[in-house]
Amino acid sequence: MAPSVGIPGSGLAKGLAVTLRTMTRRSVTAQYPDAQPDLPPRSRGVIALFEENCTVCMLCARECPDWCIYIDSHKETAPPAAPGGRERSRNVLDRFAIDFSLCLYCGICIEVCPFDALFWSPEFEYAETDILDLTHERDKLREWMWTVPPPPALDPAAEEPKELAAARKAAEKAAREAGPGPGPAAAGPDSPGGAGA
Amino acid sequence: MNDALDVVLRLVAVLVVFLVFPLLVGQTEHKVMAHMQGRLGPMYAGGFHGWAQLVADGVKFAQKEDIVPADADRRVFQLAPAVALLPYLLVLIAIPVGPRGFVGETVDAGLIFVLAVMGIGVLGSLMAGWASANKFSLLGGLRTAAQLMAYELPMLLAAASVAMAAGTLSLPGIVAGYHWWWTLWQLVGGLVFFTAGLAELQRPPFDMPVADSEIIFGAYTEYTGLRFALFLLAEYAGIVVLCALTTVLFLGGWHGPWSGSAGWVWTLLKTAVLAFVVIWLRVSYPRLREDQLQKLAWTVLIPLALAQIALTGVVKVVTS
Amino acid sequence: MNVAAAHPGFLSPTGVEITFVLVGLATLGAAVLTVTTRQLVHAALWLVVALGGLAVEYLLLTAEFIAWVQVLIYVGSVVVLLLFGLMLTKAPIGRSPDADSENRPVALAVAVVAAAALVWVVVDAFRTTWINLHGAVQGSSRATGESLFRHWVLPFEALSVLLLAALVGAIVLSRRETAEPAQTAEPAQTTGSAGAARPGGGTGTGPTRAAGAAGKERD
Repeated sequence: MAPSVGIPGSGLAKGLAVTLRTMTRRSVTAQYPDAQPDLPPRSRGVIALFEENCTVCMLCARECPDWCIYIDSHKETAPPAAPGGRERSRNVLDRFAIDFSLCLYCGICIEVCPFDALFWSPEFEYAETDILDLTHERDKLREWMWTVPPPPALDPAAEEPKELAAARKAAEKAAREAGPGPGPAAAGPDSPGGAGA
Repeated sequence: MNDALDVVLRLVAVLVVFLVFPLLVGQTEHKVMAHMQGRLGPMYAGGFHGWAQLVADGVKFAQKEDIVPADADRRVFQLAPAVALLPYLLVLIAIPVGPRGFVGETVDAGLIFVLAVMGIGVLGSLMAGWASANKFSLLGGLRTAAQLMAYELPMLLAAASVAMAAGTLSLPGIVAGYHWWWTLWQLVGGLVFFTAGLAELQRPPFDMPVADSEIIFGAYTEYTGLRFALFLLAEYAGIVVLCALTTVLFLGGWHGPWSGSAGWVWTLLKTAVLAFVVIWLRVSYPRLREDQLQKLAWTVLIPLALAQIALTGVVKVVTS
Repeated sequence: MNVAAAHPGFLSPTGVEITFVLVGLATLGAAVLTVTTRQLVHAALWLVVALGGLAVEYLLLTAEFIAWVQVLIYVGSVVVLLLFGLMLTKAPIGRSPDADSENRPVALAVAVVAAAALVWVVVDAFRTTWINLHGAVQGSSRATGESLFRHWVLPFEALSVLLLAALVGAIVLSRRETAEPAQTAEPAQTTGSAGAARPGGGTGTGPTRAAGAAGKERD
């Protein structure tokens, strides 16, 4: 019956050998509550909000497949920068909440955010005993921001990131022009990078 | 008076062994099986590597409601676990552990006694299977009966071979007559005995009567609480008894270096190694189908056992 | 047979004798229940009690080897076979309505006659024979083996020939006259002693016939 293997019973012996070998090796069990899991950097645990970057553009709320992001805001006007100019208005965030009992962890909100205000955090221990408590408000989302790891380093021969390239070009241009004082070169590109802190 | 005290002490010792050793085997099975599958097994109960897991299980079983199905045959249903468990306690009494009367009670026809009483335990499964008023239980009972009838014969024949070699039916007598080359001489008989014993205990890979993926838990399907625990205890007590018997009959019991002072250690050690093999086989092999079971017994084990008896007879005649 | 020299008499019974009588009564009760109960499986289980009681009686008569063989063969195998057969029937959990063959008077008469004959024979044969409980054990396996193979070899061999005949008969009965599927032949080959050449060549007529043959074997 056994296909062309020499000694009868060698298959049985092989089975025993496999189990015995496995017994001598370390088991793969993760003892979770006692030992924290070693999660990969891009783990999708929970969605964190870097609210300083949020401009209340509502893109995330609109793209969300099951509408689990709640955003309230009001408009504030600031006096004109120069006398006689137009008044400047900007949106101020009042409420930003994600209902994690509805969220399906698709990550579309994070992808569509044009200002890098939403991030994946590897934090996963936020179970609640009441489903209503799973709607987390902006302060909680902001706290999770501290658990977002810095993005992994680029590959050794990778292309330079766009932001850095732009910043370098701006700096070089400023250095070439040299004269017209402290230019706005350092302003722009830093802010997205700062999110990683 | 001293004699009575002696008997009572021996019986108490046997009872303690009967209650403790099956738990040890069960806990070993938890851990060995887990590690063979790349897991850790129980880790919490008792603190250190889950050593008290079976104690916790026992407490849990004791708390559960004892249910008898409405259509069941009440008395037979309730009696079955005791019938399954007690024979193993009786068998333990007759198994010698060390030289110079280190045994619960010397029985003259010990070998026959042990095999006879072990056969009674299966009646418990049959009673449970029939009295549960459940089709799965009945199927389990049927399979148990068929399996017992097929494997009792090779087991008896293999045991008879050893009795022929030793020229006695007494278990201490068999061990006392042992020489190291007996293990080689009786090797085939030993393998047949151990395999048939596994089948009689319904241990994997011979667990067709309780095949959980087909007939839920065979004859024990309707049992809960303590009665269910008694059936489980019977299974593990059966492992202890089978391994001890194989040790005594085929591996020379207490024989080994320093057997004069530490013979009982050898018996326990050999028994423990065999118990490990029982667990090991369970982890390694899938369940045999019913026709494969019957075929193995009738076309492999019985001819092998008969050949072993012939070999034993020839060697016995030549050497005497 | 070595027996006690003095006749202790029937009065002032010893503990062993009292136990013997009590166990005998229990065995008798179990046996009566076996034939009178209306529940088939209960009858089989009472049979276990009766056979076990008999084994205890053997033990009390110091026939240890016989006692354990009694347990091994009757309780361990015959009753298991009986239960196996009962499970294959449609025996209900409760009383079987048609478990009475209406042969009670005849059965009772036969039982009484058989019992009377046995009691008479035993009493007549062993009237003054007393077993000395304190002397050498007379029912040990050595003593049994010696008397069996020295003095009673011929009956023993006759019995084994009888059993062989029964075995051959069972195989012949479970075979079919014409062509036979290969499956049912296998047990016959392993038991070996049959030796009868199968009428070969037939192609077998399919699973239904095999099942029929297997069913017959169980009966």
